[in-house]
Amino acid sequence: MRKIKCSICGYVYDKPVGIQGKGVASGTKWEDIPDDFKCPRCTAPKSVFKPLEEAEVSPSAVTKIDNIPALSLKELSAGEVSVICSSLAKGCEKQRLLIASEAFNRLSDYFKSKTSVESGKTLDTVAKMLGNDIAEGFSIAKATAQNDMDKGALRSLVWSEKVSAMLETLLVRFAEEGDVMLENNNIYVCDICGFVFVDQTPVGICPVCKVPNFKILEMERK
Amino acid sequence: MPAYRNIRLCSKDCMCLYVCPTGATNTENSIIDEAKCIPGCMACVDACPSGAISMIPGKYPPQQPKTEAVVAAQRALALSKVRQEQIAQAVAASTNSAATKQFARAVAKSNRLMAEDLLRESRYMLPQSDEVRNLLETMLENATPDFPKDAAELLLSQLHKTT
Repeated sequence: MRKIKCSICGYVYDKPVGIQGKGVASGTKWEDIPDDFKCPRCTAPKSVFKPLEEAEVSPSAVTKIDNIPALSLKELSAGEVSVICSSLAKGCEKQRLLIASEAFNRLSDYFKSKTSVESGKTLDTVAKMLGNDIAEGFSIAKATAQNDMDKGALRSLVWSEKVSAMLETLLVRFAEEGDVMLENNNIYVCDICGFVFVDQTPVGICPVCKVPNFKILEMERK
Repeated sequence: MPAYRNIRLCSKDCMCLYVCPTGATNTENSIIDEAKCIPGCMACVDACPSGAISMIPGKYPPQQPKTEAVVAAQRALALSKVRQEQIAQAVAASTNSAATKQFARAVAKSNRLMAEDLLRESRYMLPQSDEVRNLLETMLENATPDFPKDAAELLLSQLHKTT
């Protein structure tokens, strides 16, 4: 039988074993697993599982390599500068430069205050933008990073693409279920890569960036 | 530069107390006393059996080079994430439902973290880099009256240039 792999965290479903403790008996066919199945490692839905051979290749990154649209560098927007500054604040914190960290956070807040959102945008808009990132943005950026042999950029893209894929599944679910999705569930966000999952308990390590779970924080409801 | 103890790794074997020539490691809150710590001494770093102490570097090399094409592609994606964060925040601010707010805040935070990571990989990883210095100088040149100039000036004076 073909093996089936979670495209987000890499968990492989093994039919002869089933899933111990999750009510999937050994020998259960993938097709017979209920649609509300969740990945036992990262909680992603059944829809993101792909046959192993298919999951291994990244067709978009390979096929588009000769077809990278030329993107031009323009001036940084206030939103981007805000993000660069909050990222640098974290960098200073890691270096124990706490006064510098606070200064970068002030700059980040200042530039954030200079941004605005057009009205009428909803979480559906976010879902559409995510779909576009996944269909195009990541393919272009991954091909570019591979072409220029930039492993650092590629690493950031692999993480963000997985985080985006998971977010998209959650937004689709939320559009269908609304607040019911969160009944009896918590929301956890990895403080390193941004991986979001909705479940009753946190995972042991982040399925995307592998950081230990003391850096995976619960998003409070208030 | 001074030594730093990672409290999560410290197994209280106390070798740092025995080897420290100045008593900098012997503090009630376990934070190594920077004022007493001798830069570059390394005695506690070498003696710690759990690898909980490390020296914080004072000098950093220039960032790894990035091609224009990579920077452009990273920024295009980051910009999308920035806008998604802004929309999710606006949703969180306007909803009456606590659960929707919670979810929208998670979406916003996730997008901010992705955007930060994507922009780190487009020449803005190291606070001490020339690229960041240029950015800070540009901010000061284009400052409007409400811009917190002191923050940018503090950073330019306190962050050592790369070696």
